[in-house]
Parts: sequence; C-alpha cells; structure tokens
Amino acid sequence: MTMASTDLEVPTLNFAAGIPGFPEVRQFALVWWGDEDGPFSIMTSLEDSSLEFLVVPPLSFFPDYAPEIDDDTAERLGLASADDALVLAIVTIGDDPTGATANLLAPIVVNRHTREAAQVVLTTGDVPLRAPLFGG
Amino acid sequence: MLVLTRRPNQSIMIGGNIVVTVLEVRGDQVRLGIKAPRDVDVHRDEVWAELQQANRAAALPDRSAVESLERLRRQKPDA
Repeated sequence: MTMASTDLEVPTLNFAAGIPGFPEVRQFALVWWGDEDGPFSIMTSLEDSSLEFLVVPPLSFFPDYAPEIDDDTAERLGLASADDALVLAIVTIGDDPTGATANLLAPIVVNRHTREAAQVVLTTGDVPLRAPLFGG
Repeated sequence: MLVLTRRPNQSIMIGGNIVVTVLEVRGDQVRLGIKAPRDVDVHRDEVWAELQQANRAAALPDRSAVESLERLRRQKPDA
C-alpha cells in the first residue's frame, strides 16, 4: 500500500489550523523515509526544522481501518470525494520500537490536489489513539 | 468567565467570526453547533488535551528507532 507522498508533486502540507500541541507551525514537508517500498514518511515542519513526525498510511498496518471524515472537515479541506483524501497516521515510537503505536483516532487528512491538511478527530467508530503497530 | 444564558436555536458570536449555536438540550446533555473559520481548530476540551499530549510524545522520532521500526516491519509478515 503506497498511497503516500509519491502522489504529491510538491509534498508541502499546509495545516491551516495547526496541529494540537504545536499551534505555531502550519507547513510541513512530507519526505519518504527509507526504501521505496517502505510505508514510512517523515513530516518536517518548515517553520521549525527540528520538529518532525513519523507518519504512515494506516492501511499498511491496519487493513480494516476505514476512517469516516465528517462533512465539516471535508468542506474545510475542500474534499469532494474520498479519492481526494490522503490519510496518514502519526506514529509514536516511544522507548521501544516493538511497542510503537499509530494514532488512528486523529489521522492526518490531506487534500491530494491542494495539499490542505488537518489532524482530524474521528467522531464515528471506536478507534484508538494508540493502536500498536505490531499486534499489541 | 463570561456567563450567558441561551435557549435552543440561539447563538453566541465570538470575535465576529465564530458562532456557537445551542441546537438541543436533552437531560444533562447539550448539543452545540460551531461555525468557525478554517484556521480555527475546534475540539472537545478533553480530546484536545489528549491529542496535545499524544502529538508531543510522537514528535522528534529518533532516526535509529525509525530504522528499528522498519526492520521490525520487514520481519512481520502481516505488516
């Protein structure tokens, strides 16, 4: 499943509303990490290059994940259909990589065409904030 | 704290561009509708606090830890 940054010609994501915890940053460069067939990307702030997040298309670890984006968010990001959206999950590695988790509750949703992005809290379904990447 | 009394379908205007409308009051629950500009993020307060914490914990992943993670992924057939 490689639906991430290769689709974006200039992978600069614009978070108009910032990201919770980091209200001062708005723009991130999305850079593929490691081998081409790996799922991971690094999101680096353009305002503060020391601020990075590891992100992954959730389907590469959670094949049943089907986030439902609410209408208000779709409107804010200018998403006309599900195909317009690129969904990424922020990964937290913590002390031990075997315990790494992905934030499925609040995925990053990107409009593939405009690169407008937001961290969106899902309001439907019961999805975890910390989903173990490796079986739990 | 400013305290205002509103009825269902009445609103509060904040800063000229944010409108909070009381949609429904049922028992101890109140449903609110919020209209805000695109650059204003709106969250339930407790979710916001949790997200802030989670994002801070996720920030600045160590490169060697990312490498370990990728090695782990390659070892697991299901990922």
